[in-house]
Amino acid sequence: MTKGIFQRFAVAILILPAGGYLALFFGLPLMLAFLGGFGMFTRGDETGFTLEHYRALFGTQAYRDGLWFSTYLAIVPTVVSLAVSLPLAVALARTHPGQRLFNILYKVPLVVPGIVAAFVVMTMFDRGGLAARVLAPIGVDLPKLVRDQWAIGVIIATSWKAVPFMTLIIGGSLGAINRDILSAARTLGAGPLATFWRIQVPLALPGITAAFLLTFIGGMGAYAVPNLLGPVYPLPLSVHMYVNAFERNNWGLVSAMGTVLSLISIAVLLAYYRATRGMRTAYGGEAR
Amino acid sequence: MSVLHIDGIAKTFGDTTALHEISLRVTDGEFVTLLGPSGCGKTTLMRIIAGITQPDRGAIRIDGRDIQTLPPERRNIGLVFQSYALFPHMTVAANVGFGLKMRGIPSADADRRVTDALDLVDLGPLAGRYPRALSGGQQQRVALARAVVIEPDILLFDEPLSNLDAKLRDQLRDDLKVLQRRLGITAIYVTHDQAEAMALADRILVMKDGRIVEEGAPVALYRHPRTRFSAEFLGQTNVLPVYLAAGQVMLPWEQKIAVIGSTTGGHVSLRPEDVAMEVDPDGLGEVQSVTFLGASVECRVAVHGVEVRVRATGSAVGIPAVGTRVSLSARVTPHPLADVIVHDSEAITG
Repeated sequence: MTKGIFQRFAVAILILPAGGYLALFFGLPLMLAFLGGFGMFTRGDETGFTLEHYRALFGTQAYRDGLWFSTYLAIVPTVVSLAVSLPLAVALARTHPGQRLFNILYKVPLVVPGIVAAFVVMTMFDRGGLAARVLAPIGVDLPKLVRDQWAIGVIIATSWKAVPFMTLIIGGSLGAINRDILSAARTLGAGPLATFWRIQVPLALPGITAAFLLTFIGGMGAYAVPNLLGPVYPLPLSVHMYVNAFERNNWGLVSAMGTVLSLISIAVLLAYYRATRGMRTAYGGEAR
Repeated sequence: MSVLHIDGIAKTFGDTTALHEISLRVTDGEFVTLLGPSGCGKTTLMRIIAGITQPDRGAIRIDGRDIQTLPPERRNIGLVFQSYALFPHMTVAANVGFGLKMRGIPSADADRRVTDALDLVDLGPLAGRYPRALSGGQQQRVALARAVVIEPDILLFDEPLSNLDAKLRDQLRDDLKVLQRRLGITAIYVTHDQAEAMALADRILVMKDGRIVEEGAPVALYRHPRTRFSAEFLGQTNVLPVYLAAGQVMLPWEQKIAVIGSTTGGHVSLRPEDVAMEVDPDGLGEVQSVTFLGASVECRVAVHGVEVRVRATGSAVGIPAVGTRVSLSARVTPHPLADVIVHDSEAITG
């Protein structure tokens, strides 16, 4: 009995450095943000418990639209990047001429900061930009791609940054698959496409998931790129958070917005897990 | 049940020539083994037959049908890998059924064939398990079931037993032979293990540096090798210089022999178990070392500066002391080796 208590105490001590770190730097701020949304422990004016911030968030058209827009700016570039990265990673995994050079080149956007990428897109695709000037003489009139309603510029800049990142992670996962397994699938009658969907994708799913989630979460809180390249309306919630914090000192509303963004992230992640569960269990179990 | 024709298949990787214009014919239901050291090109040849690797030139035909331009999925060739290559995210049954699913076999029919294939390798009760929950031997049997269930024209084995421990390897080797005979599938088996090759094959092709150096039935190849390479690769042997004296071919211990075949070669191959040894104070040989191996006793004997290995089996065999004078004699007529240069008789006798 005494030994049991002692052992539990020893385990608690051993977990403390990692667990304590998470509790202090992750759990506590999250809890404070959550409580802040209800007017408690917030910076600025202490109001005591109130639902006013959530009422303001969901009652204001601009904020509601901002919420959907943030979600849109997280999902669409992530899906676009995944659609490019997955086949790219498969192509890069094969041996081909110029492989080493291409392997270096596709990673270039990784070292370019997001804000620089945004300015590159602006220079290229804004009205009077390089692309428009090159295409105008041949009679092609580019649609509005910067500060446009569908945030195409944001999607281009975010995807441009995300593709090499996702390709790198997914490529690592694909590369870890024993090549004999792929050869076995081929000799058993699977063509390249069937091998891709039935063998490579399920086996690389841990990497695909990691790439998807990291890109998605980055997009959910993105501030600089949507602010530069996004439309005037709607603004993503991240921009509203900045304005409310530093221009209106309304930290309670900022906390409520942060909490809702986090909850939506969690909801999308759960939906992702549910959607890929079929893939992980299509043959009755988890991949790997 | 098919005939495989390989005609002038060649392959280079960069500066390295993996295969020099290999040609061979495997008849219906035959079990052929490609035997050779690592890097001899045997696995490359197998991968070319399966369509995984593209040759630089040459043709492959199954029953007269050219398959060289077909991708692997349309060749109907089963391949069993050294690494098993099971799909880790699929159950045993799904692994075995994968090829049938790809062929669009209706699921009821496919299920029945999967069950039959698993029964064939005694793994029926494990159908619902995942590969990670199986032992190496069980995994390889699943791989075997997966390869035969599609009823391939040709079944290829790429060192399938190399990752298993010795006892399991012998067991699975016997199972494999019984299964191949029962199904009558034309099979090609790649290995570097001579015992495996001899136990399984109808015909062994010995490969070296991208070439087939010799081929034949296991017994013929073991007892009458033509080349030093295959003589030495198929178990231990003594490569002995012979010399001519008064028109007779003589072994180092002055035994006259009637050499089978050509006498242009200056060396013969004589297996240690084919050398008889007797204690003889006037004998030409002197025992250099003795190793007791349980079932046999192996001695190294020096005769005129030539070291001869002698192996005697059975409990009645005496164990000589090092330094004992002995006389040797060949129990069989040794076979001359074609790839060893003609020896100058002076060098031996002088």
